[in-house]
Amino acid sequence: MAGLCLLALAAVLAVLVQQAVRAFAPVPVAELRWRSDAGEQQMLAAVVFEDAHELVVRGSEWQRRGAEYRRIARADLLQLDWPADARSLRLHDGREIHRRGLALPQAPDGSRPAAADVAEDVASNRLSRGETAGLMLRRAWDFVAGTAQGGGVFPALVGTVVLVLLMSVLVMPLGVLLALWLHEYAGSGRSARVLRAAMANLAGVPAVIYGLFGLVLFVNGVGGGVDALMHSATPRWGGGGLLWSALTLALLTLPVVVIATEEGLARVPAALRHGALALGATRAEMLWRVVLPVARPALLTAFILAVARAAGEVAPLMLVGAVRYAPALPLDGEFPYLHLSRQFMHLGQSVYDLALAGGDAPRDMAQAHAAALLLLVVVVGLNAAAIVVRNRLRERARELAV
Amino acid sequence: MSAREDAVDAAVMPPDLLAGRELALEARGLSLDYSERRALDAVNLQVPRRRVTALIGPSGCGKSSLLRCFNRLNDEIAGCRVSGEVRVLGLDAYAETTALPELRRRVGMVFQKPNPFPQSVADNVAFGLRLAGLRSRLELDDRVEAALRAAGLWEEVRDRLDDSALRLSAGQQQRLVIARALAVEPEVLLMDEPASMLDPISTLRFEELVVALRERYSVLLVTHNMQQAARVADYTAFLQAGRLLEFDATDRIFTNPRLRGTEDYITGRMREDRG
Repeated sequence: MAGLCLLALAAVLAVLVQQAVRAFAPVPVAELRWRSDAGEQQMLAAVVFEDAHELVVRGSEWQRRGAEYRRIARADLLQLDWPADARSLRLHDGREIHRRGLALPQAPDGSRPAAADVAEDVASNRLSRGETAGLMLRRAWDFVAGTAQGGGVFPALVGTVVLVLLMSVLVMPLGVLLALWLHEYAGSGRSARVLRAAMANLAGVPAVIYGLFGLVLFVNGVGGGVDALMHSATPRWGGGGLLWSALTLALLTLPVVVIATEEGLARVPAALRHGALALGATRAEMLWRVVLPVARPALLTAFILAVARAAGEVAPLMLVGAVRYAPALPLDGEFPYLHLSRQFMHLGQSVYDLALAGGDAPRDMAQAHAAALLLLVVVVGLNAAAIVVRNRLRERARELAV
Repeated sequence: MSAREDAVDAAVMPPDLLAGRELALEARGLSLDYSERRALDAVNLQVPRRRVTALIGPSGCGKSSLLRCFNRLNDEIAGCRVSGEVRVLGLDAYAETTALPELRRRVGMVFQKPNPFPQSVADNVAFGLRLAGLRSRLELDDRVEAALRAAGLWEEVRDRLDDSALRLSAGQQQRLVIARALAVEPEVLLMDEPASMLDPISTLRFEELVVALRERYSVLLVTHNMQQAARVADYTAFLQAGRLLEFDATDRIFTNPRLRGTEDYITGRMREDRG
């Protein structure tokens, strides 16, 4: 079973890596001449795909990012050369321009890119293995650490991590308190049964419904109310934002936390509880001093499950604060450092945007895979950190049990 | 009703046995029901102060249930109902106004299986003291040492106070939880077969400890070991099927019990123990 799960994870990772690599791999540049309905045509273009029947090529992006892709049947090809002096320029805004020779190329309208705009200039057809690897690493780094304008996903990466951490900070105390109440105080009373049923059902509600709920309750309800109270002319809290998104995700993961915590509480031996009570501990003191410390690994398990669930959710966030482009990070050096009302970018949203925007642009599709891979790495990384902490606690517990 | 109870009492206990003695614990007409069955049936028991009283009887006769009435730990068991009167140091334990933490601070308990918390030796002993609001490091250290000395464990753990309590041997753990109970200076100690998990040497040490505790504490000790009861207890109560059948001075119970049932149980068990 575990093997199967690992296999599935490995398969997903393999597909993502294979696809994502294309976003960073240098593309050879060809001098092409071919027949079309409009007569004979000629261009210098990057060959992004090639098989026995056809080529897919991308010309230079002169005016804006996003160039026309052309599909050329081999039967129509008149000439296909790989000139040794072909070079690809990448500008800071992500545009790619092909040319021959070292001079800066001229756009059809006569303008030229400024030298300061050039981020990368490579001899596409003459790269050694080492150069290729270095180039890919640098491009991958630019993608991960670059700004949104340059085609990077750093803001989305920050947004995702900040969001998940804020969500945990919100959901853990609430979830643990609820679990304590359910397991330690409510007994088998009616309200406990109702709450348990509610938890079980909430766990099955589609995520996007949480988004709608968060929109109505947090954004329009609470946020709108706060804005009205403060007489602000422009909506500050009454729009989507980091806090509302974190709260929505906290609601989404609450059942997971409650259920996992309750299981942990149930495993704390009655002998320890009775021992504490017999020494004159109140119920709260017993829980705080004996039960919760013993149940710590279970709390971390709850945290891990919550993070895993929350980090992968995109649909609800689009309604309550995640945006395609946010001008500022939610976390920066300016007081109050964490900007709870700001809209933010999210890796899930980036995957969605890149995948849809680039419906037939292979480069964007490859970047969507790269963003997805990064999201997966973030989730696995957060989980791995929590698992390391939990195992250390368990080890200590085991040492104590010697 | 009361006439019948008096009659039962007279049959159970010689009327002048505890004459003039202060009582630590007292149960009057105490009945206890679990959801399915009755565990105690109209028990009248008196436990004198600063003496060791043993509670003997076959498994499932209600000894532990009776013990747990005196610190109301039965409250923790779902479906457990208690009727009758329980007096602890003269106060009604089941009165509305009784504060459970306060009651339990005055009535310490040692369980069948040692149940140290997964903390250091010192923290275990200091647990009850911290609950009581003691914060001063110095005073905590003093009280911890005193409790460990009283439990006869100090010499063995003085260099291991910061080690996990779970690394101690079973016998040490049992003395540790006794020290933990003693640290808050209770007036009564309830012990629920505390030596049943111990090896013979640890058991011996434990018994010496109980005899020493008798100077300052009122002890109610549940035990399956007849010789142990005979060795450490001043008084012995015989419980069977939820009823208190006989209560007397220990030497009388073991040499000349008034009831056939008591004799059968004691002799039967003793033969078993020897075999």
